[in-house]
This record gives sequence, C-alpha cells and structure tokens, in this order.
Amino acid sequence: MAPEVISREGRVVEAFVSLAGSLAAGDDVMDLLTMLTTTCADLLDVKAAGLLLADRRGVLHVMAASSDDAADLEAFQVQRAEGPCQDCYRGGVPVSVPDLADTDARWPQFVPAARRAGFVSVHALPMRLRTDVLGAMGLFGSVTGDLNPDDLRLGQALADVASLAIVQDRASTDRDGVTRQLQSALDSRVVLEQAKGMLAFSADLEVGESFTVLRQFARDHNLRLSDAAAAVVSRTLPVTQVLSHANERGTRGR
Amino acid sequence: MQQLERIRAELSDAVSGAPSARAAADRLCEVCVELLEIDGASISLIHKGATQGTFGSSGERSRRLDELQFTFGEGPCLDSVAQDAPVFAANLDASDMTRWPALTGAMLQHGINAVFALPVSVARRPIGALDLFRDRPGPLTDDDLTCGLWAAELAALPLLDLMASVASRESEVTEGAGWDQLASLERVEVYQATGMIMAALDVDPAEALVRLRAYAFSHSLSASEVAWAVVQRRLLPDESDWRRLPGRQSGTRP
Repeated sequence: MAPEVISREGRVVEAFVSLAGSLAAGDDVMDLLTMLTTTCADLLDVKAAGLLLADRRGVLHVMAASSDDAADLEAFQVQRAEGPCQDCYRGGVPVSVPDLADTDARWPQFVPAARRAGFVSVHALPMRLRTDVLGAMGLFGSVTGDLNPDDLRLGQALADVASLAIVQDRASTDRDGVTRQLQSALDSRVVLEQAKGMLAFSADLEVGESFTVLRQFARDHNLRLSDAAAAVVSRTLPVTQVLSHANERGTRGR
Repeated sequence: MQQLERIRAELSDAVSGAPSARAAADRLCEVCVELLEIDGASISLIHKGATQGTFGSSGERSRRLDELQFTFGEGPCLDSVAQDAPVFAANLDASDMTRWPALTGAMLQHGINAVFALPVSVARRPIGALDLFRDRPGPLTDDDLTCGLWAAELAALPLLDLMASVASRESEVTEGAGWDQLASLERVEVYQATGMIMAALDVDPAEALVRLRAYAFSHSLSASEVAWAVVQRRLLPDESDWRRLPGRQSGTRP
C-alpha cells in the first residue's frame, strides 16, 4: 500500500474504527488508553496528551501518555495536587487554558513545570461515565490559543469512548463494578511500571525505552500489554527474552 | 458520611502513632473492634520469604484463632491471600459450611459465628490479611465493609515494616499519617524503582518495596526521593549497601 496523505476526516474515521475494533476484540485497557493519547496527540492541534484515572479513594494516577514529557507533567499534577487536569477531575467539566502565562497564580507549581517541558497551553477534558467522573485527559499544546471547537468535541468523544472501554469488560452497571474495573486498570498500570523498571535496570535503558521494548514484544507475540507486563514481573517471561527480541527487531533506542 | 470520615481518620491515626510495627498492627485491630460491629480482629502476614504468622490482634481470642489457621493450614485469611479477594463466611454454623473443616469447629467453640477476611496488599500483591471475627452470624453492613477495606489498606504499613525488620532490622517508627504514607508509596517513580530493585536484587515486588522503604527510613529520605535516585541511576540497589553514583539526569524530576 502506497503511503498517502490521509485526510483529517479519514484519520478521524480511522481512530474511531480502531477504538471500536479494540473494544469489540476485548483488547487490553492499557493498550487502548495509550492508543487514545497518541491518537489525540496526532489528530488534535496539540503536542501531547496524557490521561489520569482516579482510584477508589479518589486519588489520581497516570494511566497513559503520548510522550514522556506528558507523563511527567501528569504525574506532577498528581503529586502536587494542582493543575488543570486535577481541577477538571474535581469539577467534572473541561478546563481550558489557552495561555499558561496568564495563569501563574492559579497553579504556581504546575505552570513553570509545564513551560519548562515546552508546553504553553493546556486543555483538560473529563473522563465521564454517566454521572461519574473517572479521571481527566490533558491535551498539552506548544502554541497558545484556544483549541478549535471541533477539536474539543472530537477529544471529548474519544475520551468518552475510552471511558466506556474501561468498564466494558464485564458489562458492569453498578458503582461497585465500575470501581472494581477501574482498580483493575490501575493495577495493570502499576505492574506495567514495575515491568518497565525491571527491563530498564537489566538493559540499562531509559524507562521510556523499556516501554517501547515491552510493547513491541507484546504486539509481535499477540499478547496484551498488561499480560506481558505481568509475565515479566512474575518472571514467567524472562527479561532476557524480551530484550533479545528487541535487539533482533532493532526496537532499542527508538 | 461524617461518621465514615471520622472512622477513616481514626484508622489512619492507629497505624501512625504506635511505637512499633507490632503495636501499630494491634492498635489497628483494636480500633476496628471499637468502631465496627465486630468482636475481634487480627492481622497476619503470609508472604513467602518472610516470617509468616499472626502479627496483630485486638485480643487473646482473636490472636489464637488467627494462629490456628496456620496450625491447620486452612482458613479465611489464607484463602483471601490465595484468591486476592475478600472471603466472607457470614454463618459458620450453616450446614454447607465445609470450606475449613478443622478451623470452623474451633471458631464455633470460641463463640465465633461469622468471619470476614480482607486481603492486605503491597505493591499490588496480597501479602497478608485482616480477619474480622463476630460472635453473632450475619453479613457485614456496607459501611462496615467500607471501613474494613480501609483498615486492610492501612494494614499494609505495619506489615511492610515488619518485613523490613525481618530482613534488615532497620525498622523505625514511622512518621506521618497513615494515608499520607500510603500515598507516598503510590507514585509512578516508586513503581518503576520497585521494578528496578526487583531486577537488581532478584526479589519480588513486595520485598522490593520493603527494601526501598527501609533505605528511605535509614537515610531520612522520602520513598519518592529514593525512588527518583534509583530511576535516575544515582543510587544502585545492592545486597549489602546501596551505592551512590553520579548517575544521569534522565527524565524531569518534578
């Protein structure tokens, strides 16, 4: 297939088709959320995207991000308990910051950190499920200005589909079921971070690189990312096997 | 709702104000009995590689019943760890109560008619259980279950410290409220560093977190500070003594 310049409309359709396909196939929530952030970063007029989900105590956790910078910035908001994504989750409504320079006072710690990472605008969208707010997605821009209304609507639609995906596993309708599935998604995230740490240490990789290595391994072996991570952590999948696969594929070093 | 918040705070205080890990475990059990509709509570550690057994209880009867589970090799606390899920037996005298043939008789003899075991997790792995005993049969109320689950979350702190004292005798009295201590262990960098320590020392996730926390205590650092140093290769986990290295400033330290 010859590479072509695909129209934006075509890419939007493609994004929903792959999200829907992933839903129908019962794919890994971790994979799906990572795909959501990269899709948003590609399709929308932003540089990066990151996603936070709340655990049963209402504490936010970084679930996925399109880049390390975005992941760091989401983690920063969680740790300092301030920032547009934090406010978006608490309020359950979008928070738009067209120019971070105007908001130093509102988030005295977040704004300098975001600007150091090269971001000058942020748009946070709630992850909603009926009346519940599950978390927030942050869209980080490298240019100032409002996101155009189409982009905002598209971002929210993608976030809504992802919210459904998180709870679709066992068609749970009750609050407890939703809480359990969120918890299981969060557990997967923890195990993924542990696996990344193991790979990073064993091969002297950056943590971000070890994610690429593990994801490649999972894809090439038709495994869910979270299953591959769990296998690494439980040592049923030797770290050496993942690393030698990466060397063969030339995944290392990105 | 205010009532629940008060209980949440009291449980948190129970594990943070005690002079030792064992005292914290006892205190947490006592507070459970004071605040919930139960007559006894105990906390046991069931982690391979650690000294297994009963480490906290609200009193002599609960301690003995908890210990009997280890003697007989069966019981709700062992099951809840094996299944990583709560195990409820609301009526031990029921005719279909055949799960624990030896233990059930002993519990009934001690006047216990209902038992509820809640797993205690470290690094998302079950390492022990909180057992709640009650004289009369019947299920836990929703509020009591919520509070029981909180207590089981907090029980991770004394169990972590007990594992540390078994491993290195470095356990110190911990500072800070229980919830804050738990939150400090739930950060992305802590998960990643846990994975790196797992690879470096060939230990499982719970043991890795124990080592990280023990190092933090003995050097008057926060778990997060130690985790960053490990992730950035400024600190190399080692069997005998961790080595400080110049490291590399990868990633942005929030």
